[in-house]
Amino acid sequence: MVELFFAELKRTWILQRRYPIEVIGIVIVTVSIFYGLFLSARYVAGANFQLGDRLDSIIIGYVLWSLVVFILGNIANLLQYEAQTGTLEQLFLSQFGAVRVFLIRALASVTLQLIFVLTILLSILLLTGSRLDFPPALLLPLITVLMGANGIAFAIGALALLFKQVSQLQVIFQFGLLFLLATPIETWTGFAQVIANLLPIAPSASILRALMARGESLNFTHLTIAFVNGVVYFAIGLGLFRLAERQAKSRGILGGY
Amino acid sequence: MKALEAYKLKKNFSRNKQVITAVKDVSLTIYPGEILAFLGPNGAGKTTSIKMIAGLIQPDAGSVRIMGKDPHRNASALQNLGAVLEGNRNLYWRLTPEENLEYFGVLKGLTRREARLAGRDLLARFDLLAKRRTPVQQLSRGMQQKLAFAVALVHRPQLLLLDEPTLGLDVEATEDVKILVREIAAAGCAILLTTHQLQIAEILSDRIAIIQKGGILAEAPTQKLIQQFSGTAYKIEMETALDESKILELEILGIQIEAQKVIYIDRLELLYKVFTILQPFPIQSVVKEQANLTEIFLQIVKQGKKSDG
Repeated sequence: MVELFFAELKRTWILQRRYPIEVIGIVIVTVSIFYGLFLSARYVAGANFQLGDRLDSIIIGYVLWSLVVFILGNIANLLQYEAQTGTLEQLFLSQFGAVRVFLIRALASVTLQLIFVLTILLSILLLTGSRLDFPPALLLPLITVLMGANGIAFAIGALALLFKQVSQLQVIFQFGLLFLLATPIETWTGFAQVIANLLPIAPSASILRALMARGESLNFTHLTIAFVNGVVYFAIGLGLFRLAERQAKSRGILGGY
Repeated sequence: MKALEAYKLKKNFSRNKQVITAVKDVSLTIYPGEILAFLGPNGAGKTTSIKMIAGLIQPDAGSVRIMGKDPHRNASALQNLGAVLEGNRNLYWRLTPEENLEYFGVLKGLTRREARLAGRDLLARFDLLAKRRTPVQQLSRGMQQKLAFAVALVHRPQLLLLDEPTLGLDVEATEDVKILVREIAAAGCAILLTTHQLQIAEILSDRIAIIQKGGILAEAPTQKLIQQFSGTAYKIEMETALDESKILELEILGIQIEAQKVIYIDRLELLYKVFTILQPFPIQSVVKEQANLTEIFLQIVKQGKKSDG
């Protein structure tokens, strides 16, 4: 498995190094969209434009969203692309099994995507003049984000296995997640708070805002909720993917496009 | 041990609320070092059968064993399987040959070092070393095909599935592929080959299985099948034209003669009688007429259609 991880990392790295324009383009577009929105907000607010830690929270939500969008594409986009090019069936001929192959592949991709997301974050901080805290404790909620995001990615991947074309659905998911990750659910109370804890990745985003924007210390109750949330979505995603693989094999549509 | 044992495979698909039988009864056995040509018209069930053997389509009934292991229940069975399923489409076109070999080697359970070493050997064997650092998309179609073979063989499988391996290749590349297939089988790998180029199947295969409408119509060693369909016809060519008395004698036996020089005999028992009559005229050649695989294939498929009708 370790060998497969490094082989995947090397493959992904080579592809991105050999065709850097794609990655550079995505980073520039992601930063530009945020900066455009930031300038528009400043223009509307006029000279008294002062967002303070609210701007920091928005930045965290936006950057998290871009990370999650990258992750969502890892499985569904690759599945669609490889079904088109013809390599998909070879992945299912691996003795590791498709779920493990795609899991390792997602892990390798995330490792590189974290570098791109860090570049996006630093560029935004530089352009907006915002300052964030980076305590080591942020790694824990970040792991829960990765679990939840990969769970959704596997669920969309499951649909891609069965229906092949899911790009429209991916767009809907992306906008839904933008709402989830940018909304300060920590301000919600009562029943709304319970709902917020059930939504994918939202509890993790809330912890990251507390740690990085407001400089608060790690709340272990919130972390437990985020962890359970991440594990549940991850397990659901994997389960759906396994079911879809079985269905696709039964219907003979694994490699088709 | 049998490299492949597929037993009574069945597969139905549902399309628009209709049940379509893709494969109704396919059993195949291949031993190490043997090449089985799996032939059939389009839509006969070849690809569905191959994908059931590879574990990519779940059969409704029947079983598959690759070196004794079931690929549908035990993923380790795939360690003994290599496949070139869609021409040269089992490659990453943006990667180089050595990068493809390393990646797919690891995917098949080798360490990166083992995959690199095995890949280098295969590149040398397939005469691709000079192109090892050229992205696949810049290679010729023939080179891509050879690389596709190398990728399928990097983990030294016991069974190789080749679905139309010469499709779209030029004459030279086709010859290269034929040589490779023979070499791979000679090294002990069992090969299941589908092709529409029946000449290639005739030259390469040890055995032939013909499938139509999801069922096997004929399965036999290639030479035996050819013999079986060749009958006992002989063609004798004379060096000089026969005189009329000899022609008359032959015609009494019911022998066909063409241009006073070419004699067709359709029964073995007449052969030596004809030789006696022909004395002392010089004979140029005696040839037993052999059916070719194309004729045999068409005949079997036609018979299959008749028995269905």
